[in-house]
Amino acid sequence: MRIGIVCPYSFDVPGGVQNHVVDLAEALIGLGHEVSVLAPADDDAPLPPYVVSAGRAVPLPYNGSVARIAFGPVSTARVRRWINRGEFDVLHVHEPLTLSLSMLAVLCARGPVVATFHTAMTRSRVLAAAQGVLRIVLERITARIAVSALARKVQVEHMDGGAVEIPNGVTVARFAGARPLPAWPGECGPGQGGTVGFLGRFTEPRKGFPILRDAFVALAPHRPGLRLLVAGPGDRDDLYARFPAELRERVTFLGLIPEVEKPRMLRSVHLYVAPNTGGESFGMILTEALAAGTTVVASDLDAFRRVLDGGRAGRLFPTGDAVALRAALTELLDDPARRAELTACGDQVVAHFDWPVVARRVLEVYAAAIEATDGRVIDQEWAGLPERM
Amino acid sequence: MPGMWWLVGTGLVLGLVAAYLIWTAGRVERLQARAELAARALDAHLLRRAAAAAVLAERRYGVELYAAARIALDAAPDEREAAENDLTRQLRTVDLDPADRDCAAVIAASRRLALARQVHTDLVRDARSARGRPLVRLFRMGRRHSWPRYFDIDDPTLTVPADVTTG
Repeated sequence: MRIGIVCPYSFDVPGGVQNHVVDLAEALIGLGHEVSVLAPADDDAPLPPYVVSAGRAVPLPYNGSVARIAFGPVSTARVRRWINRGEFDVLHVHEPLTLSLSMLAVLCARGPVVATFHTAMTRSRVLAAAQGVLRIVLERITARIAVSALARKVQVEHMDGGAVEIPNGVTVARFAGARPLPAWPGECGPGQGGTVGFLGRFTEPRKGFPILRDAFVALAPHRPGLRLLVAGPGDRDDLYARFPAELRERVTFLGLIPEVEKPRMLRSVHLYVAPNTGGESFGMILTEALAAGTTVVASDLDAFRRVLDGGRAGRLFPTGDAVALRAALTELLDDPARRAELTACGDQVVAHFDWPVVARRVLEVYAAAIEATDGRVIDQEWAGLPERM
Repeated sequence: MPGMWWLVGTGLVLGLVAAYLIWTAGRVERLQARAELAARALDAHLLRRAAAAAVLAERRYGVELYAAARIALDAAPDEREAAENDLTRQLRTVDLDPADRDCAAVIAASRRLALARQVHTDLVRDARSARGRPLVRLFRMGRRHSWPRYFDIDDPTLTVPADVTTG
């Protein structure tokens, strides 16, 4: 199949949507399809061979943050040229309701269009003022994908339409094969040792770092050798100031780590803790921790419970409850058999999130969109679908 | 010459209105055509599923499933939704083994049917809302097509995709 994918955000800056697009494109290429990705990028930026640049993106304050997007007559011309040259069987746009290449591509497209909605916040103020434009864009979309239950709910309730829920994928092989950082995770026995990990912005309240901090501070004096590994953006001194002086040497801060280092960090801990208090629509980091074969302890949010299969693939604790978290940490650090049981189940769960599996489900949506555009039914073999998944 | 300006102004307005009407007519036409094509795809997937279920019933699971599949295949248009729902219910009662070829075919056909149903429902909704607009009704745009109809059946998915324990 010839597939055209449009990414609204510039590849010059890292981001969830960009990663999603690259991973999806590579998974589809791996399944034997021809893929071309259109994205804004600096003309001299190094890009993967399947990415076509649509020109420089301009920073624009949007939805409370600064997005680097491309929009305007020059971009329109480039989008149109790319679509005409590509002769795609299906066009797959991401976040089409942002003022971006994705929206331009939807408006230029003629054939089947599949749209993926990433954020739950798809109704921006800019577009709320232009309901008519919104309708025209939505009308041209043949099939919609939502990456989380929350994003799907927004579709159903506010966008007047359904969406197929297909989760974010994770490249399991990249995580499972990673080597831990030197001298990590270290010893872990009954009553002593063990390493607990946290990845994310520790200053952001929704990430719930204070809950993990409280549990760690309460547990560490009673458990010699217990260590905490923190990675993510933020200031080192700010982090250490949150811990009593005698515990600071047991906290290691890696700072902001690049995407490629993430698997190694996740494999360097006995327990990965996600103490989030809300706002997480999917829980990508959990699937990544599971893929790395690390035991996960997570707060009991809907999204997390779904990923962890109701607690079979990881330990859930009541959201915001540091005492319960401390108990969960003690229990799991003392019990390697239980950890092995959880990670074994985690392997099964994460197999459903592996990119080739997820990409096959996306291909089925492509097939449905093509069928609804010209009325013929696509043979499974032609669509590259396996007989069973 | 104020008369001249009146003429130009009226002409301009008429031109804009005409352009808008032509554009709207094209839009209604496109949405209608798309809903009809989606209905054809949905029809094909319903037949596929029923055929796959019949093949499976012949080999195992027996009479009841086979009867449900036959009824779904032969149903008249006004009984079809009920017949398809019966087939879905029958398929849910049997224990499908994904490792078996025929079972896997039924599971895959049901999954594709669920997608076709979703897309069809969305496109019919778009077409209906376009047809329902006052201007469209006034000029009877899209009258060459019948009023788009929903195909109202239960979700035919046999293994819920969000539930990662099955699948």
